Amino acid sequence: MKPINSTPATKAEQTGPRYWRSLDELSQSPEFLEQAHREFGVEASEMNEVDRRHFFKIMAASFAIGGVGFTGCRRPESNILPHSKAPEYQVPGQPLYYATSFSLRGESLPLLVETHAGRPTKIEGNADYKAYNGGTSLKAQASVLELYDPDRSTSFTKEGANLSKEAVLDVVAGLKSSIATSKGKGVALLTEKSSSPTRLRLKKAFLKAYPQATWAEYEPVATDNGKAAASIVAGANLEPKYDLSNAERILCVAGDFLGDNPGAMGFGKQFADGRRVRSSKDKMNRLYVAESGFSTTGAMADHRKRLATSQMTAFLAAAALEIELGVEGDALRPIFQKLASGLDADTKEWISKSMADLAHFKGGSLVYAGPQLSKEAHGIAFLINEKLGNLGKTVSLVEVDADESASIEDLAAAIDSGSVDTLLISGGNPVYNAPVEIDFASKLSQVETVIRLGYYDDETSEKSNYHFVQAHYLESWGDGRTYSGDVLAQQPMILPLFEGISEIELLGSLVGEANTDGHSLVYATLQKAGAKGKSGFDQFLHDGFLSDSAYKAKRSLISGMRLAEALAGSAAIAVPTGKDNLEAVFVNDASVDDGRYINNGWLQECPDPMSKLTWDNAIFVSPRLANELDIVSADSMLQITRKNPNIVKDGRSYSPVATVTIDGREITGGVQILPGLDNYSIILPLGYGRTRTGRVGTNSGFSSYAVRTSESATFVSGAKLELTGEVIQLANTQEHWSMEGRAIVRESNLDDYASDPQWVEKMGMESHSPPILGDDKGMSVQQRSKETPRGGSLYKHPDYTGIHQWGMAIDLNVCSGCNACVVACQSENNIPIVGKDQVRRGREMHWIRMDRYFSSGDVNDLSVIPEDPQVSLQPIACMHCETAPCETVCPVNATVHDEDGLNTMAYNRCIGTRYCANNCPYKVRRFNFMDYQQRPLDRLYEGPLAPKGMPELVQMAQNPDVSVRMRGVMEKCTYCVQRIQQGKIAQKVKAQDSNDIRIPDGTIKVACQQVCPMNAIEFGDVSDEHSLVSELQANERNYAVLGYTNTRPRTTYLAKLRNQNPEMPDYIDQPHSTTEYEGDSPHHGGGHEPHESQDDHGHDEAHSDSHTEQGGAH
Amino acid sequence: MASAHASTGEVKPAILDEVNPVDIPRPALVANDRSFSWITDKICGIVEEKTPTWWWVCFVLACGTASFTVMGLVYLVSTGTGVWGLANPANWGWAIVNFVFWIGIGHAGTLISAILCLLRQKWRTSINRAAEAMTIFAVVCAGIFPVFHVGRVWMAWFLFPIPNANAIWPNFKSALLWDVFAVSTYGTVSVLFWYVGLIPDLASVRDRATSKIRQVLYGIFSMGWRGSNRQWSNYEMCYLLLAGLSTPLVLSVHTIVSFDFAISLLPGWHTTIFPPYFVAGAIFSGFGMVLTLMLPLRAIYRLDDLITQYHIDCMTKIILATGTMVGYAYGMEFFIAAYGANDFEIFAFVNRAFGNYAWAYWIMISCNVISPQFFWFKKVRQNTALVWIITIFVNIGMWFERFVIAVTTLTRDFLPSSWGYYSPTIVDIFTYVGTFGVFSVLFLLFLRFLPLMAMAEIKAVTPQADAHAHKR
Repeated sequence: MKPINSTPATKAEQTGPRYWRSLDELSQSPEFLEQAHREFGVEASEMNEVDRRHFFKIMAASFAIGGVGFTGCRRPESNILPHSKAPEYQVPGQPLYYATSFSLRGESLPLLVETHAGRPTKIEGNADYKAYNGGTSLKAQASVLELYDPDRSTSFTKEGANLSKEAVLDVVAGLKSSIATSKGKGVALLTEKSSSPTRLRLKKAFLKAYPQATWAEYEPVATDNGKAAASIVAGANLEPKYDLSNAERILCVAGDFLGDNPGAMGFGKQFADGRRVRSSKDKMNRLYVAESGFSTTGAMADHRKRLATSQMTAFLAAAALEIELGVEGDALRPIFQKLASGLDADTKEWISKSMADLAHFKGGSLVYAGPQLSKEAHGIAFLINEKLGNLGKTVSLVEVDADESASIEDLAAAIDSGSVDTLLISGGNPVYNAPVEIDFASKLSQVETVIRLGYYDDETSEKSNYHFVQAHYLESWGDGRTYSGDVLAQQPMILPLFEGISEIELLGSLVGEANTDGHSLVYATLQKAGAKGKSGFDQFLHDGFLSDSAYKAKRSLISGMRLAEALAGSAAIAVPTGKDNLEAVFVNDASVDDGRYINNGWLQECPDPMSKLTWDNAIFVSPRLANELDIVSADSMLQITRKNPNIVKDGRSYSPVATVTIDGREITGGVQILPGLDNYSIILPLGYGRTRTGRVGTNSGFSSYAVRTSESATFVSGAKLELTGEVIQLANTQEHWSMEGRAIVRESNLDDYASDPQWVEKMGMESHSPPILGDDKGMSVQQRSKETPRGGSLYKHPDYTGIHQWGMAIDLNVCSGCNACVVACQSENNIPIVGKDQVRRGREMHWIRMDRYFSSGDVNDLSVIPEDPQVSLQPIACMHCETAPCETVCPVNATVHDEDGLNTMAYNRCIGTRYCANNCPYKVRRFNFMDYQQRPLDRLYEGPLAPKGMPELVQMAQNPDVSVRMRGVMEKCTYCVQRIQQGKIAQKVKAQDSNDIRIPDGTIKVACQQVCPMNAIEFGDVSDEHSLVSELQANERNYAVLGYTNTRPRTTYLAKLRNQNPEMPDYIDQPHSTTEYEGDSPHHGGGHEPHESQDDHGHDEAHSDSHTEQGGAH
Repeated sequence: MASAHASTGEVKPAILDEVNPVDIPRPALVANDRSFSWITDKICGIVEEKTPTWWWVCFVLACGTASFTVMGLVYLVSTGTGVWGLANPANWGWAIVNFVFWIGIGHAGTLISAILCLLRQKWRTSINRAAEAMTIFAVVCAGIFPVFHVGRVWMAWFLFPIPNANAIWPNFKSALLWDVFAVSTYGTVSVLFWYVGLIPDLASVRDRATSKIRQVLYGIFSMGWRGSNRQWSNYEMCYLLLAGLSTPLVLSVHTIVSFDFAISLLPGWHTTIFPPYFVAGAIFSGFGMVLTLMLPLRAIYRLDDLITQYHIDCMTKIILATGTMVGYAYGMEFFIAAYGANDFEIFAFVNRAFGNYAWAYWIMISCNVISPQFFWFKKVRQNTALVWIITIFVNIGMWFERFVIAVTTLTRDFLPSSWGYYSPTIVDIFTYVGTFGVFSVLFLLFLRFLPLMAMAEIKAVTPQADAHAHKR
């Protein structure tokens, strides 16, 4: 580079106009030429006559000057390299959203993934796909963490030694040529279920090209019994698809359609829409549930029947007996009677009354059979639905592709017969989760070459010869279909981090596709599926789904006669009778599913919706069984009361260890008592006890697969449970489960609501204390948020001068407690996980938590744990109180209000006195007791001796819009302030000079709201009376939790309703929690006596006048 | 009535011509008619004698114990507040309990020096010096906890109203900030008060010193005291003013400490009775600690003539009175909870007595309410061993009082979903035990180098100091 003062061009060289810097230059004086020649001025020339002494003098002076201001202590320079060719639409600092889909067990969910600088950070539901309302499941939410799991498999291996990608491609090519010569003989594939059209296309091509090859599919949690039943009673290749949109009466038998059954995303929305009551005149659907465990669906039930899973076929048979069976009745009735003979009279009455209710809603009712039920049970459910006129309305049979795959048992038999010498296992983890009697690990040793394509180096990879790195779904092309069959796009956001390959790419290579890259494979499939041409494909990618691609319903008739034939041989199944003959029920875990998510910290730390257990599974037993097994013995009453069903000592939940013996096989695990279970059914969650997994999944629970056979995939009778005498500690986030008669979750029966629409106001302390707002109690939500009435308070309240006033309303009537919001919040806000040990201590960091209360109607009876409780769920996060108690007590002003009514946290200002957390009546503030973000969770107590720093891979998962908090700092829900600010900026940019900077309602969706398929959470501007949140807060069911403390929370709740059927034997005239509330407090008296008025103390009528006067004087 | 008087013709005056109060003989405050020189020899002798072996033993033990606190704090700061047993919902635990406990202990000293001085309770003279020293050392111990219990102790200077670049001031609404001011003011004034009282006695030690170092050091600290009339006059005025200044502080410090709880909205904390109840409790525990310390000193140094049975009697009576007040407060809390008809409040108090911390509650009741009742009996008051044991109970009981208040409320507040149980870790325990070491180290150094009684003042209350004594 030329020095700045370099000699200017000579006149001769110049062609254009001439400029000079000084007269010296013009005259070309020698001084000027001398100076221009030098780069550094005269002083620098001193260096020309270097002598050692002089050199040191100058160097010392330079160092001294350089050292002033610590210029030497610069941060290490690191280079940010700009994109030499920026990706399309990329604006630095702005997130980009791509449509993709997440698949689990052959069902895909439409997603919109937020990416920052080319890395996906947050999963959102695709709101354009109206059927799911933008909702996503818990597991889809957490899947982004899996992408950045430092324990994921990073290298291709052969017998444990690393293999280069090129070598792998050679192996695949060799495999392809050998299959081609043998026509597939000796080759077997074992894959997971998939709904991907591309995979289906490749599968067909594979089986066509290599007819002698075996294609087996295995899912530990099977969901295809409905299809099997349909093939018996209606015809082949039909699958039942349910639709709750118009279902006014639902009977769910052993299912969890709001939890993890296929289609749960859509069911959640449909079910919630049927319960979205806005006034006392609105109708609401009614849900009957019969189940042995306690699912989220059971928690939502209006009437719930505890029944062993083995009795569910009998249950459905008894239900079928209650309706008109028509001409086939004569043949079917005796079979049903035989099947139902084992049921007791109470159950029969329950069935009879509920079926009578369903029968009133012909075409608007539904009997939903859980996917794990036998095909016979599904057959009976079809029959009932047909007779109730529901076929084609709430349930339809759709045409699906024929399934030509073998089962894992067939594969095992083939291996035994020696006809398999090459086995390709794509995904899954059969060594861990195959039926125990197959002993899949030993089968693998009989096969010459086992190639495994796996995301993790797990138990199956350990037993395989080759391990291929599988790409994450966020790294690879693909497609999938939703529950109803709509084709979804799956597009990568990022190059495979560890060169992984996807299943379809591997298959494409094997079947000899011309282009084996994922994009080409999917493109080719979609050309046939309806996304024509490049523009059609681009539109498909843009939308994320293909319109009108759903499965086509087929008008079919249910053949009662064929059902009769199928049922002819079956006898009533033995029922569990007592502690020596138990029924073990296998369920996939709400968090880690069938074990595939065990290394996902967000899911591990997400409390089970019912038991609130984290990091472990447990053997769940009913209170009665606990009594009979002496888990709750008389002398331990001090520790175990109905308030703490499990042994709680020093704030830690202890579980007695027990051994479950089934058919001579044993598993050992901690026992947890869970009210609401069938008396003699024990629940064994699957998915834990993995032996080869990452840091997060190690030492986590026991494997229920060790006692699970193909025959007993869902349940098995004849189990025995014996206490070993040991005790282990489990990490439970909520030890106390009674609401203690407090009006925290307010509930009423629907018919009571109709007769007393103002019931919500008559509950809680505020119903009989002087009005907290004094004269201003009649103010509207809008007025109050703007004018901030003092309500007799001495403090000056913050002025809410902002143009928006944020608030939130949560409808408890539709929240199912699925926990998706908990993990969505964790993902959005960089919330750390703290590990099992810290959860045991009570230091979990979730900003939103799901409170779960059991109620039985009598809060003071401590002698027994209720067997049949009602459940009330309540998501709790920071309420953003207008008069926030946390703010007044913070000595350093680290938590303050902003003008929009947000209760904000200045993390940098926080010194961690924790006074705010103490003074928060909702206990929603979370403190960084340790360096959770920086230190390994198993070495927290080593302090500075432990390695520091977040793994690079995990750093990529962080949301760059949210700071990562250090230890010693308090944190809590911010109402996703980063999203609010983005919304404001976007609106200001849009408004330009028009001053139209008010953000339209619904533009900003906070993370928990966005993810909720039930739309239970509504967020918006409460100062805008037309916003949805304002409408909800003005609803008569709206109430503030602990309103009497005058915190004036911006988050309020809509009270829960239960749609009880007065005809039912288990009818109660008001919810148990309401009974507890009225029974517990001496002031509320019995029943529904309305209090005099808001002004009065109610119970203190003599003074009511003076109180009114005082109220006026406030 | 007037006519009735008139009929007798005699008017009784409303004011008596002469008042002759009954002359109740006061017990002598210095027994055995000890002379001035005996007192000087006795007190200065303690400082001047060769360091006794027991002192070294105690000192080494105390240093060892104090190191627990040091190690505990190093671990705490380097690793995180999580090394303590704190968790949601009990975000305050032993640290705050210990803070209130030590501050409470620190109450007796200034009460004895200031309030009893203003009330002319002459018996204070033989105990005030040691009690004031105890106060200062207790405040030192107390100050450790609120500073180190914060999550980022290196940022604790945010608590002070230091003008900074961001122009963020502390939140003057927060009771924790009031604590900062209250405790630092109290500490400062207590040190001043103590030091001013020490000056004449330091001069005595200086005058008797034989080694050059002692002469110089005591000389410096006695600030040129010569005992002139002018000096005495200024000194007395200064002392009186300081007493006046300290008196409101005695009441304010613990009132403000009680605000940490009272201004919150938690059931069981949010009560208006806290300020007087905390002050009574603090005096109660402070006198307990004074006796716990003075009785062994009296035995070791044979100070029976200076700390007489009368002194012990006075102090036990104060313990009895304040203990009963505290007991009244416990009862009143229940009454108000019931009368207020607030379900949460009622639950909080029933839970204290019968919940899962009932054991702590009943320890508190037995120690604080029942044990001082023995002081109704003169026999008990005269049995030094028994008095000492009861004061130990008082100390234990008052620690538990703070524990019960802090922990039962936090672990069982509004929403049962977040209820929990708090238990300390070994680090909590060691850090707390260590503060007794810190306290002992400081107190032992005090015994060794400073006159443990106010000689000048004691001389003033001997019978021979009162030239007009015979007139009474």
